Amino acid sequence: MRKILRLTKREFIASVKTKGFIIALLLAPLFMGGSFIVMAITKDKVDTKDKKVVIVDRSGALANVLIESANQRNSKEIYDQKTGKKIKPAYLFETVTPSKKPEAQRLELSDRVRNDSLYAFVEIGQNMVHPEKNDSRITYYAKNAAMDDIRRWIEWPINDRLRTLRLKDAGIDASAVKDLFVWVSAEGMGLVSVDTGTGAVKEAKRANEAEAVLVPIIMLMLMFMMIQIGAMPLLNSVMEEKTQRIAEVLLGSITPFEFMMGKVLGGVGVSLTAAAVYVIGGVFTINRMGYGEYVPYYILPWFFAYMLLAITMFGALFTALGSACNDPRDAQSFAMPAMLLVLIPMFLITPILRQPQGSFSILSSFFPPFTPFIMLIRQSMPGGVPIWQPWIGVLGMIVFTVLFVWGGGRIFRIGILSQGETPKLGNILRWAVRG
Amino acid sequence: MDIVEINNVTKTFGKYVAVDDLLLTVPRGCVYGFIGPNGSGKTTTMRMIMNIIYPDSGTIRVFGEQLKKSSTDRIGYMPEERGLYKKMKIRELLQFYGELKGGKNVNSSVDLWLKKLDLSGWANNKVESLSKGMSQKVQFIATVVSNPELIILDEPFSGLDPVNADTIKDAVLELQAQGTTVIFSTHDMNVAEKMCDFIFMIFKGKKVLDGTLASIQDIYGSDIIRIRTDDGSRACLDLKGVEKINDFGNIQELRMTPNCDPQEILSAIMSKTRVRSFDIVKPSLHDIFIRIAGTEAKETTHA
Repeated sequence: MRKILRLTKREFIASVKTKGFIIALLLAPLFMGGSFIVMAITKDKVDTKDKKVVIVDRSGALANVLIESANQRNSKEIYDQKTGKKIKPAYLFETVTPSKKPEAQRLELSDRVRNDSLYAFVEIGQNMVHPEKNDSRITYYAKNAAMDDIRRWIEWPINDRLRTLRLKDAGIDASAVKDLFVWVSAEGMGLVSVDTGTGAVKEAKRANEAEAVLVPIIMLMLMFMMIQIGAMPLLNSVMEEKTQRIAEVLLGSITPFEFMMGKVLGGVGVSLTAAAVYVIGGVFTINRMGYGEYVPYYILPWFFAYMLLAITMFGALFTALGSACNDPRDAQSFAMPAMLLVLIPMFLITPILRQPQGSFSILSSFFPPFTPFIMLIRQSMPGGVPIWQPWIGVLGMIVFTVLFVWGGGRIFRIGILSQGETPKLGNILRWAVRG
Repeated sequence: MDIVEINNVTKTFGKYVAVDDLLLTVPRGCVYGFIGPNGSGKTTTMRMIMNIIYPDSGTIRVFGEQLKKSSTDRIGYMPEERGLYKKMKIRELLQFYGELKGGKNVNSSVDLWLKKLDLSGWANNKVESLSKGMSQKVQFIATVVSNPELIILDEPFSGLDPVNADTIKDAVLELQAQGTTVIFSTHDMNVAEKMCDFIFMIFKGKKVLDGTLASIQDIYGSDIIRIRTDDGSRACLDLKGVEKINDFGNIQELRMTPNCDPQEILSAIMSKTRVRSFDIVKPSLHDIFIRIAGTEAKETTHA
């Protein structure tokens, strides 16, 4: 054990002292959360240039409401009330008389949009109040109509006016039924439970998307990163020590099993360090931002338990494969099949998030190489999992970890001194079985 | 007392027999030289003593007991191809190797050896900054830093310049003087002749020579004439009783056929030219090596 720990210490120091580790530690969350950060930074970077839009109103009843609503918006919403600074573009609508040759008119207006003398144009059909008739569409033409804010904005004043017109047609006084169009949403709530302290029924927690999706994804990404940092590099590291003949020097002092375990535990130490930095830093930051209630503290002990077992399990696999490699190309070709065990759970994230209690989710979370990912996702979601399931998951992982360490040790013992032709995966499996 | 006892050890790799029924004992406190062509089984034998690979049959005893895991803590091993962590600082690396062996007072031992091999000024440099010769000296220190009772050096002098080779040679002899047993392999027959108390030659996995230099030479007798003439090697051509001429330019060594009379050879040469010197000597280790492994060694070298 003394020798294993000495090698572990060297591995740990050699890994965490490198610039690569420190940079990865800092940059990984930036890459992972890069899009969120960019969105946050660019949130206020709005184009405030006025938008000139032409209305071709064949109904003759809706252009005015658009112009009035735009005027109201332009006077109230586009300037910051405190600073007086312009924060949004003004919408400047003007009407043109519908032509008897609509296609020619559309082409002419499109050309104006193309040469930037116009931002967009809206064509309102003739029979908007009763859309079952022909010519009852609103069409919006712009360079990028699909993602256009104005397209979404015009729907509200137009539909509001249409409702009023339809009520009027039906002979109903709109002011008598002002709640007619109030839309009511269904609120998502968690389940009600009993407070163990007071015995009273606790109010259910409001379910939200951040808790339902963001927390499990963050936990999954963290686990993936830890395996990337702690276990994955072992394959190349062992391959290098073998090809640079360091392995032979070490084997003059320690057994192949001690060698392998020293490397694996070094990887465990590295990922524990990184995880501690991320978890402590993350919890602190989230609390400072006022979202402390979303931190799944109850998951953290499970996260660390899964991580320890996962790094040991995958670490044994990667060191064993590294011992069979004779050059970087071998390492590359062996890394891919091994990485699949880590990548497959990442591909399964959508079905798991949709149905965390479905039989596919439950069964796949019991497959030990997937447990640290899938069980973790399921536990992180509102509602969690029955308490026995994580324990069975951990038990399965312990069995697999012992199996991987045992088999990995047998492969390592042969692989680390093998030279010449690179063994095929079948040979490696045979080494594990036959020793 | 014998520090290493190898009893009928055989090791095969697939169909290839690397070591074949080897019997060898290494007395405590001696310098034992392993010689043999490339691929003859020297490194395999050393690795088996280090418990890095295991014999298929036979037994190995070290320090008077069956070879076991903890035995290797008392043995220093320097493989043929050096293995050092390039990114580590030299002092840290040596401490690491010393501590892996469970060595005591490793720090002071590191300082002592760095000073002895003129590397004190490099202690805080990374291994990657060292020249090949310096790396080899660092590897040597890594082997001896835990003060092992037995050291095994695979080709310790290969690739070293004469100054560094002398430094390692002096260090080895100093260790021997302090009671350490040294086993080393070499292709330099001069070094083996001068440094080794015992020489062991392995060829195609089998032991072909084992003993002191004198006892080995005695097997072959005094069958070499070392001669210097005015006409060089030309005077030695077509002589009856000479089976091989080894021409060194200024002198020639003639190997006589068995039961040949050297006086007859001398007379024949004197009839052709003026003889400056004439000696009857025992064959050198180099000569013996060539006699045993000549053709195969060439094939191995050219392969």
